Amino acid sequence: MSNIMQRYVLFIFIALIALWLPLEVFAHGVDERTRAFLLQNTGVQIIPFLYIGAKHMVTGYDHLLFLVGVLFFLYRSRDVLLYVSMFTLGHSLTLLFGVISDIQVNAYLIDAIIGLSVVYKGFDNLGGFNRLFGKSPNAKLAVLIFGLFHGFGLATKLQEFQLPDDGLIANLVAFNIGVELGQFSALAFILLVINFWRQHHSFTRFATTTNCILMSSGFMLIGFQLTGYFVN
Amino acid sequence: MLRDKTMKKVMQNTTPQAITLTTAALFKYTLFSLIFAAIALLTVILPAEYNIDPTGIGQKLGLTVFHNVKTVSLPSQAGVEKLAATTETIAVIVPAGKGVEYKFIMEQYQKLEYKWITDSQPLYFDLHGEPKGDTTGYFESYAIATLDEMKGSFTAPFAGSHGWYWKNETDVPVTVQLIVKGEYVQHGLK
Repeated sequence: MSNIMQRYVLFIFIALIALWLPLEVFAHGVDERTRAFLLQNTGVQIIPFLYIGAKHMVTGYDHLLFLVGVLFFLYRSRDVLLYVSMFTLGHSLTLLFGVISDIQVNAYLIDAIIGLSVVYKGFDNLGGFNRLFGKSPNAKLAVLIFGLFHGFGLATKLQEFQLPDDGLIANLVAFNIGVELGQFSALAFILLVINFWRQHHSFTRFATTTNCILMSSGFMLIGFQLTGYFVN
Repeated sequence: MLRDKTMKKVMQNTTPQAITLTTAALFKYTLFSLIFAAIALLTVILPAEYNIDPTGIGQKLGLTVFHNVKTVSLPSQAGVEKLAATTETIAVIVPAGKGVEYKFIMEQYQKLEYKWITDSQPLYFDLHGEPKGDTTGYFESYAIATLDEMKGSFTAPFAGSHGWYWKNETDVPVTVQLIVKGEYVQHGLK
C-alpha cells in the first residue's frame, strides 16, 4: 500500500516539475536582465557568474537532450560518472580555451553540431551504427568530442558580450563551475526519472520510440540552427 | 504475475545496452524522425522563429505574430527620415530595479543635441553607440555616470544605434524626460 502511495507521490512530483520546466526552458540563451548585467559588469563577480552558468545549463534543452541520450542505457553509477566526466572534460576545455584565446565560432553552426550530437546519440541508442557498420563508434570518445563542441557553444554565448579582461579568468572559472552545478542538478533530475521509469515495462516498450523522438528533436535543432545561419 | 517477476529478473541481469532493430525497421524509424522533424520545422518552428512560413500553416496557427509585433512597435519605419531638426520630447519609464535602452538610429557624422531629467532619483547611465550590423556586441561609450539630469550633444562616430542605457537601482519606477533635437532616422526602446 505504502509502496503504491510512494509511487504516486513521486509521479505527481515529476509531473509538476515537468509542467513547470517548459516555462523556464523558453529562457534559453541570455535574457535581457542577464544581458544588462554582463554589459555593465566589471571586475570579479563569482556568484553571479556561477548562477548564469548553472542557469544556462539547466535551461539549455540542447545540452539536456544530449545528456538524456547518453544516460539512456547507462545502468551502473560508475558508467554514469565516467561518461559525465568525459562530457565535462570536453566542454570545460573548449569553454575556457575559446573565451581566453578569443576564438569566435559561429553560434548557429556550433548549435547545429550540438543538434547533430543529439541525432548521433539517438541513432546510436537505436543500435543504428551496430546494424549498419557492424560496430558502434567509441562512445566515450564521441561524448568527449561532442563535449568539446558543447563547450564552444557555451563560449560563443559568453563572447557575445566582450567581457572585460578585468577579472575575466575568475569569472570564467565561476561560469564553468556554475555550468557543472547546473549539469549536476539536471543530471540528478534526469537520472531520477530514467531510473524510475526503467523499473517499469514501458521503459523497454518505449525505448525505441523515445530514441526516435530524441533523434527527431536533434534534426529539429539542426534545421532550426542552420536556417538561422543562412538567414542572418 | 510470474511473467512480471521473470521480466524484472531478466532486465536486471542482462541490462541491455542498446536496442536491436532490423535494417528495415532502423531505416523506417530514422526516416520517420526526419519527416517528423521536417514537419515540425516547416509548420511551427521556422514560422515562429524566423517568420519563414512556406506552408502558410504557421500563419493560420497564429505563430507569425512574434514578427508582426516588431514592426508595429517601432514608432517610425526606416526611410522616414527626420532630417529637419525638430525638437522632440520623449518620456522613458525605467521600471524599479531594471535597465532600459533608448536608442536613435543615426548615420555617420549625424548630430544629436539632448537634454534629460529624471522625475526623482539619479540614475546610472551609459550613453553609447553600437555600429550597424555588428554582431560581436561591440559598443563605444560616450559618457557613463550616475546623474539626475544632463545636457549635451554628440556626433555619431559611425552609422548605427546611439543612445542611453539607464539603470534604475531604486525600488520605485523613475521617469526620464528626454528632449532631443537632431538628425536621426528613427528611435525607440531597445
